[in-house]
Amino acid sequence: MSAGAATMVSSAGGLLAMLNESNPQLKYHALSNLISFVDQFWPEISTSVPIIESLYEDEEFGQHQRQLAALLVSKVFYYLGELDDSLSYALGAGPLFDVSEDSDYVRTLLSKAIDEYVSLRSKAAESSDDAAKVDSRLEGIVERMLDKCILDGKYQQAMGISIECRRLDKLEEAITRSDNVHGTLAYCINASHSFVYRREYRQDVLRLLVKVYEKLPSPDYLSICQCLMFLYEPEGVANILEKLLRSENKEDALYAFQIAFDLVENEHQAFLLNVRDRLSAPKSLPSESVQPGSSNPAHAQNENSTAPEDVQMTDGSSAVHEADPNEVMYSERLTKIKGILSGETSIQLTLQFLFSCNKSDLLILKTIKQSVEMRNSVCHSATIYANAIMHAGTTVDTFLRDNLDWLSRATNWAKFSATAGLGVIHRGHLQQGRSLMAPYLPQGGAGGGSPYSEGGALYALGLIHANHGESIKQFLRDSLSGTNIEVIQHGACLGLGLAALGTADEDIYDDIKSVLYTDSAVAGEAAGIGMGLLMVGTATEKASEMLAYAHETQHEKIIRGLALGIALTVYGREEEADTLIEQMTRDQDPILRYGGMYALALAYRGTANNKAIRQLLHFAVSDVSDDVRRTAVLALGFVLYSEPEQTPRIVSLLSESYNPHVRYGAALAVGISCAGTGLSEAISLLEPLTSDVVDFVRQGALIAMAMVMVQINEASDSRVGTFRRQLEKIILDKHEDTMSKMGAILAAGILDAGGRNVTIRLLSKTKHDKVTAVVGLAVFSQFWYWYPLIYFVSLSFSPTALIGLNYDLKVPKFEFLSHAKPSLFEYPKPTTVPTTTSAVKLPTAILSTSAKAKARAKKESEQKANAEKSTGPESSSAAANAEKGKSSSEKDGEAMQVDNPPEKKSEPEPSFEILTNPARVVPAQEKFIKFLEDSRYVPVKSAPSGFVLLRDLSPNEPEVLSLTDSPTSAASPAGGSAPAAGQQSSSSAMAVDDEPQPPQAFEYTS
Amino acid sequence: MDPQLTEVSQLFERFKAAFVRKDFDTCTNFLSQLKVLLTKFVSLPPLFENTPNAVNELLLAGEIYEHAVVLSVKIEDQDAFERDFFQLKPYYTDVGSRLPLSQQEYLILGLNLLRLLVQNRIAEFHTELELLSATALENPCIKHAVELEQSFMEGAYNRVLGARQTAPHETYVYFTDLLAKTVRDEIAGCSEKAYNYLAINDARQMLLFSSDQELFEYCKEVSVQVTSIISIKCEFFFKGFGKQRLFRLVPNDCRSILSRR
Repeated sequence: MSAGAATMVSSAGGLLAMLNESNPQLKYHALSNLISFVDQFWPEISTSVPIIESLYEDEEFGQHQRQLAALLVSKVFYYLGELDDSLSYALGAGPLFDVSEDSDYVRTLLSKAIDEYVSLRSKAAESSDDAAKVDSRLEGIVERMLDKCILDGKYQQAMGISIECRRLDKLEEAITRSDNVHGTLAYCINASHSFVYRREYRQDVLRLLVKVYEKLPSPDYLSICQCLMFLYEPEGVANILEKLLRSENKEDALYAFQIAFDLVENEHQAFLLNVRDRLSAPKSLPSESVQPGSSNPAHAQNENSTAPEDVQMTDGSSAVHEADPNEVMYSERLTKIKGILSGETSIQLTLQFLFSCNKSDLLILKTIKQSVEMRNSVCHSATIYANAIMHAGTTVDTFLRDNLDWLSRATNWAKFSATAGLGVIHRGHLQQGRSLMAPYLPQGGAGGGSPYSEGGALYALGLIHANHGESIKQFLRDSLSGTNIEVIQHGACLGLGLAALGTADEDIYDDIKSVLYTDSAVAGEAAGIGMGLLMVGTATEKASEMLAYAHETQHEKIIRGLALGIALTVYGREEEADTLIEQMTRDQDPILRYGGMYALALAYRGTANNKAIRQLLHFAVSDVSDDVRRTAVLALGFVLYSEPEQTPRIVSLLSESYNPHVRYGAALAVGISCAGTGLSEAISLLEPLTSDVVDFVRQGALIAMAMVMVQINEASDSRVGTFRRQLEKIILDKHEDTMSKMGAILAAGILDAGGRNVTIRLLSKTKHDKVTAVVGLAVFSQFWYWYPLIYFVSLSFSPTALIGLNYDLKVPKFEFLSHAKPSLFEYPKPTTVPTTTSAVKLPTAILSTSAKAKARAKKESEQKANAEKSTGPESSSAAANAEKGKSSSEKDGEAMQVDNPPEKKSEPEPSFEILTNPARVVPAQEKFIKFLEDSRYVPVKSAPSGFVLLRDLSPNEPEVLSLTDSPTSAASPAGGSAPAAGQQSSSSAMAVDDEPQPPQAFEYTS
Repeated sequence: MDPQLTEVSQLFERFKAAFVRKDFDTCTNFLSQLKVLLTKFVSLPPLFENTPNAVNELLLAGEIYEHAVVLSVKIEDQDAFERDFFQLKPYYTDVGSRLPLSQQEYLILGLNLLRLLVQNRIAEFHTELELLSATALENPCIKHAVELEQSFMEGAYNRVLGARQTAPHETYVYFTDLLAKTVRDEIAGCSEKAYNYLAINDARQMLLFSSDQELFEYCKEVSVQVTSIISIKCEFFFKGFGKQRLFRLVPNDCRSILSRR
């Protein structure tokens, strides 16, 4: 008896034999026992599968028994590795196939079933007819699986599966039933961006998410608005904003501001303007305020939205005496939010930040200038480009001012780009942009200036107002129509394109088109690009018009401009663009195929879409034209920028191609997609290319390397230092090829771009693509043919700062923590000594403490210098400076306190540092940012960078502002006349006006 | 005693009575009822749960299946034999150690070996053989089967055909008869390949028939159709084994005319 427990069956033969019995009860007995022994005896059973199959198909056999047979067969097939058969029988097993069973069999089959279901569903969705009917049993299994996931609390799995299966109903269920709805929603948004490749479907998902969000008791408006923006539903955003603005609660208004800032970050100009125009004006009568937002008066107001803002404002204020306080509050808030939505507020703040934190190193430029031969105009203008890029957005043009003589050597197109460079330096200087450029602008009729500087000035205006060109559009149009000099037309077309980026303005389009039809090569090229910029992402049918003209014209320049323009129109349209891409990539003309590559790149920007990658790789190795091949590889960078880790792997083989054009493309692809990441693989891939045998490959590699290394300092990657020294060597080397020398100069500019306070970023924090940045880089990569386009790179710069704002949209004094060694993210040390010694000195290890001491010493001396400078009549400026100095010394003091007082050489570097609002926070640093708990201000949204609205916990105390004063102050009336007051040093003027003043005009003396 | 067990044993008694009466139809009926009842016992294979009555139940079930096997021989149903034997087998192999040795065990194993031989499933035959212990091989029933197989393999067909006389049990006769037919099939198959023509005498000798009449009957049985005498004298054909291939038996005196292949 006791041995009984150990008894085991040694064979399934008996049971299998029983299957052949005629009595159904015996068969059933055999089946049910076989099921339990199948794991052990499947090899034996497999020989009898036909019998069991016939049992399954036997109509006379009971339903349950048949399902049992199916389950048995399914298990045997599973063991035999025939998953397809196994699945089809498992479906036959109906409810007997238990999805909750924890066995390899069930898990394998479930994943198989889900895969199958997903492929069927997506096939059905893509063919868009219901012919491909999905097996309801399969659907049943997947549904059971989903229900189980939801019951078990595995919401993420359930959501992932239902997104893939295109089961939005289940997705909704999973989200609403999850315990942390906000968390799951955020997860879902993320998933839909990174894993849903079809644009329409992604929109469906997002629409659902918005629906779910709105049902929540406490909706997360930040996320809703993001979703709505992806869906292009300005009305929804406007409604939400209005609701928040009308709220009694101050916090809601802060939320609204935060939403607006986040939307602005995505640079979708047309959308933002649309939202702005939909916000209804404040009601003058209390009775009307009861009415919903989109009431008639609001419409009336919207219709004349071309009228300047202050008209609306006065509307509001005129009603003050009779309106209730709510309306007053609303109108005040409305003004603010309109300022934000138009981008002016953020641009203003950015400008202030970039100006006040500018750390560009003039010595580098000086070295470049000295080492470059005067007669070599390429390097000469490269230096001008480098200067512009280095000071992009900082408004600091000291270098140009100090070297007027040298600058005057720029002639013709070099003059064009030198003037345009001012636009880069003053980028975002919206109020005074025009007065800044005034000396160079075409003077209606009285044409005294050179057409090159006039054209350059128009281009510069475009750069200053890039993507925010409401105010300058008209002027540029007038300039365009008022001239028939092709250089000016060139500048005006580019400027208009930039200023009206993506607005699809018909009138402007017609203006530019008429320039195009003059069939002038120079103006036509810019016209093509300008049309593209104007129509970015609209997938307009005008593309075919442009394509037709590209076939008609004889000028390669025009064809190229149009090709790029057409590519720009399909920006981000993914599948929608396929027809056009097909048409272009099949064209006989290599220039149009080249445009096709750009179309692929831009339509599938940042999607990492497999189809696009495959197509590009195909062209990269098979096209007959080197230009097309180069562009195809380069385009990979755009498609992959959302997954920078992938790019070096994908192009690594291409970077070893025998064809230098392909190598060049590979370098830039890595540069574009890994820009600002400092990714180690990317650097490793680029390093050998920087010493390639072909000069232009070196050029590309140097530029790409600089793009990758923006804002990475030597402490985090030692190769940055090596690279800086390499650049220096190339620039100083007399025998170096011009091409690579130019690359090195540009690289030096990009490496320290924007006063070392900007990075190249193609994705916003919400993983949305930044239109301006991507377009900027795309046009930038055209510099191969046309150097002035280098300036487009400035569009992709985004400041790396955390700027905290209070309710008044001012920058209060506020501190937060960076939980990392300060040396990891500090500015690169300025080059202080002549280059020869620095080359020796740099590699020696400098202790961080001593470096810090040195930095502080320098800062002090700077402050002193500042103080000396500002001993003008403006005492207030001294005060401002002093205050600034105080705040920074305070900051130091705090850092010290943590540090333990006596500073010894052996002491380790502190493991954290306190930053003061506004602070430079480089992308790699973001994860270390923490907000202090006992701070007076609490961020509305805990974002580690960008604009963050702060809630004031003690609103009654006076606030200490750390950045310059209110940005809403009207543009200085002295704007135009200030330059005339000669002696004023620019820094003191700035302190007075709380605004960097326009620089004095300088004349070319050539 | 467990009521279920009692019910089964009572039914089994009635089955045995019918079996003795050679009322095989009734037996088959009872048997299928018995089998259904047996499925309710968890102590039986394949579950082998340890219930208090396990040994009794196993014994009873084993006996039932042994009878089922013998019955299948009696009603000359080879499929049923195979089914019942496989269901019986666990009682020998898996619980053999817990049960007293069955009288019938070797008889039935021997029968199974014979069956495999008859069905010309030599590989399985040897597999089964390997599983047997040394003592089992000594048993006359097993020995009989083994010897038959050896003779069969050697080609000593006369010994095979003579085995009918040495059968250790009456049930073996059925299989030895079948085996004789298997042997003749084998011979016929070979001859078909080997000869174009064969004299009737030779054919009779080769196929170990005692008379021409038996030869003709065999021909009638095996072949799909016997073509009648077509030549004037002696030559006649029959189609061999349904393969559409002519197998000719030729009278002796005609042989000189026809060449051997």
